[in-house]
Amino acid sequence: MKHIFNFKNIGLVAFFGSNLLFSACLRLDSNLYNTSDKISEYKWDNYTGIQDFKLDASYQIQDSMQAVFRLQSKTSDNQSVKIYATYLGDMAQIATDTVILYCHGNKWHMDFYWQRAKLLAHVGQKHRYGVLMLDYQGYGLSEGKPSEEGLYNDVDAAMQWLKSKGLSNERLIIYGFSMGSAPSCELAANPRSMRVQKVILEAPFASAAVMVADGSGLALPASFVTNLKIDNAEEIKKVNQPLCWIHGTNDDFLNILTHGEVVYKNHTGSFKIAHRVQGADHSNVPISLGFENYRQLLLNFITH
Amino acid sequence: MNHANKLFIKHTSCFFAVVVFLLSCSPTRIVKPLAKGEKAVGANLGGPLITFAGAPIPIPYTSAFYARGLNNKTTAFGSVHLTALAFGVFQTDLGICRELYANQKLQLGISVNPAMQIAIDHWEGKAKFWPQLDLNVYKNWGPKKMLYAGINNWFEPSTQRAHNEAQNKQWYVNPHIGFLYSPRKWSYGIETKWVAPGVSNTPNVVDYIGINQKGAVGVYFQLIRRF
Repeated sequence: MKHIFNFKNIGLVAFFGSNLLFSACLRLDSNLYNTSDKISEYKWDNYTGIQDFKLDASYQIQDSMQAVFRLQSKTSDNQSVKIYATYLGDMAQIATDTVILYCHGNKWHMDFYWQRAKLLAHVGQKHRYGVLMLDYQGYGLSEGKPSEEGLYNDVDAAMQWLKSKGLSNERLIIYGFSMGSAPSCELAANPRSMRVQKVILEAPFASAAVMVADGSGLALPASFVTNLKIDNAEEIKKVNQPLCWIHGTNDDFLNILTHGEVVYKNHTGSFKIAHRVQGADHSNVPISLGFENYRQLLLNFITH
Repeated sequence: MNHANKLFIKHTSCFFAVVVFLLSCSPTRIVKPLAKGEKAVGANLGGPLITFAGAPIPIPYTSAFYARGLNNKTTAFGSVHLTALAFGVFQTDLGICRELYANQKLQLGISVNPAMQIAIDHWEGKAKFWPQLDLNVYKNWGPKKMLYAGINNWFEPSTQRAHNEAQNKQWYVNPHIGFLYSPRKWSYGIETKWVAPGVSNTPNVVDYIGINQKGAVGVYFQLIRRF
């Protein structure tokens, strides 16, 4: 008995006991991912669920100019997983096109963001730029469960695919909306398969720490409630590529002052431009700007 | 804001909502100081009201505390926040309840509870301290019934928050009112508190029930055993 109850053993029991206890702890990580709308197929223009906006017929994409396919990605524990992606444009021209890699927000699936992807396919003129959009693990019909590392792996899988089609770094533009700003910043700051040429961030969040601080009012550590390490405000410091930041002044989800302005301020790269959209909230920046103006500001940035 | 946006925010806002209200998952610990040497243990259940299945219910946050009368005017207390513990965060509030004024004839009193909130997480070992100050006015009706009201204050000592940005707000005020029924050694309490009235609950926390779309109204049930 004397040997069992020495300090070393008590320490070991306490260590393993606490790990066992805390392994079942509540965390808010999964709350970041909203995959509640389950679908059995992608419907694109025929999708009748809630959307931020719907474009008129002039924005229609011909079937021959849209491809839907699967990519091989990896989970956070390095298991293979298939995710869905769609390409808007002529796939045979990828090697000579400029491509916008669109990283969508935290909600649902590509059907929800389809109108936004179509809008990007009309920047400049119809199909002037190719657009690649994907559903992260656990989103839409993509396999797996959402995770922070999964986001990065999935977007990198999309880059691998573009690279395999002959796209060069100089013609890759990444566009991150809301949660999509996380893989956009991460992979722009720490290139894996490709090094993006330009970065567009719409309504980005600064970090998990800011989300927690905004919620509590106090400067609480993010680790109190989440294990997410997303930190765009720090990663953007490593991004030298040109940045276009777009944020609604009335964004009541990701506050423009505590999130967007911090990310924008911390970018010290070669060029940056800010578009603070008066009166816009989190989801309606393209509507508030007007589709024509929205496309034009993107065109100006891409061609700058 | 359109319906789609509301739905979008409704889900993700859980991220924030839990954070806000974890901080205030307990009622006032001790309103009237215990007698010298008297001890008490208590537990509470309750939190901000949410609409669930069409009906308002309080989120069942829990904490437990121990208190001891240092003298007839001062009681020390300490607690463990069980809900925070479920998040892997050891959170305690340590403080005293000090009688400032008592009128035996009117059975009326005023007390103040300075306390320190201390929280340390298991994940990264990060710690946070913030002072709290409750000011209470109580009125007894005989030996068994007590009505009280007051102001619960949190103070943010840090002038900086994440990414070296300025922490602009240092003081949060949460008004509360409660009733304590003490037939013998057991006391049964109910308290309602307007949590974070300065924080907008729309559209971030559309499920929470606040006042003028600010904060959330919390309801707490308390059980205390005195020794």
